[in-house]
Amino acid sequence: MQEIVTALANGSIYALMALAIGIIYSTTQIINFAHGSVIMIGAMSSYWLLSFAQMNFITAMLLAVLINIVLSIVIYKVSVEKLGDLTNNSRWIVTLFGAGIIIDNTARILFGTEPKAYPYLFDGKVIPIFGSKIMVHEIMMILVAVVIGIVYQIVIQKTNFGRAVRAVSFRPDTSRLMGIRSNHIVLICFAISGAVAAISGALIAPITFASYTMTYSIGIKAFAAALIGGLGNTKGAFIGGISLGLIEEIANMVVPGGLKDAISFLIMIIVIIVLPGGILSAKLFNKGELNAEKV
Amino acid sequence: MLQVENLTIGYGKTEVVHNISFHVQKGEIITILGANGAGKSTILNTIVGLHQAKDGSIRFQGKEISKARPDQLVKQGIRLVPEGRQIFPQHTVLENILLGAYIEKNANKIDSRLQSIFERFPRLEERKNQMGGTLSGGEQQMLAIARALMTDPTLLILDEPSLGLAPIIVGEVFDLLKQISSSGVTVLLVEQMANSALKISDRAYVLETGRIVLEGKGEEIRNNSDIAKAYLGSI
Ligand SMILES: Nc1ncnc2c1ncn2[C@@H]1O[C@H](COP(=O)(O)OP(=O)(O)O)[C@@H](O)[C@H]1O
Ligand SMILES: [Mg+2]
Repeated sequence: MQEIVTALANGSIYALMALAIGIIYSTTQIINFAHGSVIMIGAMSSYWLLSFAQMNFITAMLLAVLINIVLSIVIYKVSVEKLGDLTNNSRWIVTLFGAGIIIDNTARILFGTEPKAYPYLFDGKVIPIFGSKIMVHEIMMILVAVVIGIVYQIVIQKTNFGRAVRAVSFRPDTSRLMGIRSNHIVLICFAISGAVAAISGALIAPITFASYTMTYSIGIKAFAAALIGGLGNTKGAFIGGISLGLIEEIANMVVPGGLKDAISFLIMIIVIIVLPGGILSAKLFNKGELNAEKV
Repeated sequence: MLQVENLTIGYGKTEVVHNISFHVQKGEIITILGANGAGKSTILNTIVGLHQAKDGSIRFQGKEISKARPDQLVKQGIRLVPEGRQIFPQHTVLENILLGAYIEKNANKIDSRLQSIFERFPRLEERKNQMGGTLSGGEQQMLAIARALMTDPTLLILDEPSLGLAPIIVGEVFDLLKQISSSGVTVLLVEQMANSALKISDRAYVLETGRIVLEGKGEEIRNNSDIAKAYLGSI
């Protein structure tokens, strides 16, 4: 029971991270290689607001979200709009990697190299459920992820903004003919992605410790979950995240600790080879339809 | 209403439209005829702000618009129905129409325009919850036009509205354009299908590899068989 909850909790956060990658990819076909760094900044900035500025969790979280929104907008403006021509080439691969490296090194200078113990929500309170001891923090991880996932789908499917996002992702120029400012929509998607990254980073940090190395230790799992779920498939992100959480937890039980990540990535690689469009692109899930849903 | 003067347009270093001038007066239907690759889409995309001209001026109702963005021009009343219709295949028909009204924030206006669109295009109402991609070519063209009408444009521009449609449907599309025109909308269209377009046009321009080589009344050009042979292929 405890293992299942842990798997679901971690999986939910991987799902959120994959969702954030998917939000950008589905509108722009850009893979935000700086995303791991954005997650890390979410964790580190909220850590410092909590421990140094002594803020309460909600205030610290809101500020961290704000910091990440600004950071993501800057990343978009500089790495994508200015330096990486969105439509004509793939310069953004280099400029986004570059942005990640700059952010990581800045974080190392600002926050130091030592991993910090990040406080659990509700002081790590444990409650008994069906005879197992479950941490409230883990329940919150699942709840927050589910709520964000559902809200995102509603916004995308039912609102004017969501309609425009789907339009821009499909035909950016035609969308402009509708009077939609396609680059604003993309900018807002970067901002949303950054906000989600802050929340996911802060929720996973108590489990992993907060450190500038989260970019790689956690960021890479975000990409793994996104790929397993199907890049740009924002519903698939949840399948990918939960799968990764479960795979990890199973690997944890059967192989020595250090190998857990290796097993997860092995499985990710197998999924990508067998189903390049992610798990949801399997025939089983499509009943004759051509592709997994785009957004 | 629309004055294009000495417009030169290119992609990178290649110039594809050379120093052209033409104008559209209020209430007219104007056709620009030209073979494939003559530069028709380039001109239209430049007028609506998707592409920047190298040189020259475009004035709409007296105002210079050659540097304006597409969303600003939509607000000023210019709408383009793009080549190949370009509806959103994974949005429902209703969503496609509502996207057309993206800049309109007044819900009452949107509602009343939607009603009149559905009166004009009952088939779109029947199919409003279907995905755009499931419509036939002709229905998609109607959808693309309906979508553009959602902001009550003063100048409606169409890029080869007859492209790929069966002759009967082409007839319906041009009848519709005539109706739209008589409801007070100025219409600028580009076409390769000379005959049907010229029938409804007040005036026409003939474009050949980026240059305007002829201008005249719709009827004149239609009845000039030399022009037909030289520039338009068989009519
Ligand atoms: N995006 C583009 N980049 C480079 N050349 C282009 C582009 N679009 C069109 N062209 C060229 O410009 C010329 C005119 O094209 P276009 O305006 O599409 O003609 P038409 O609409 O009359 O068929 C053609 O020679 C075409 O190859
Ligand atoms: Mg064309």
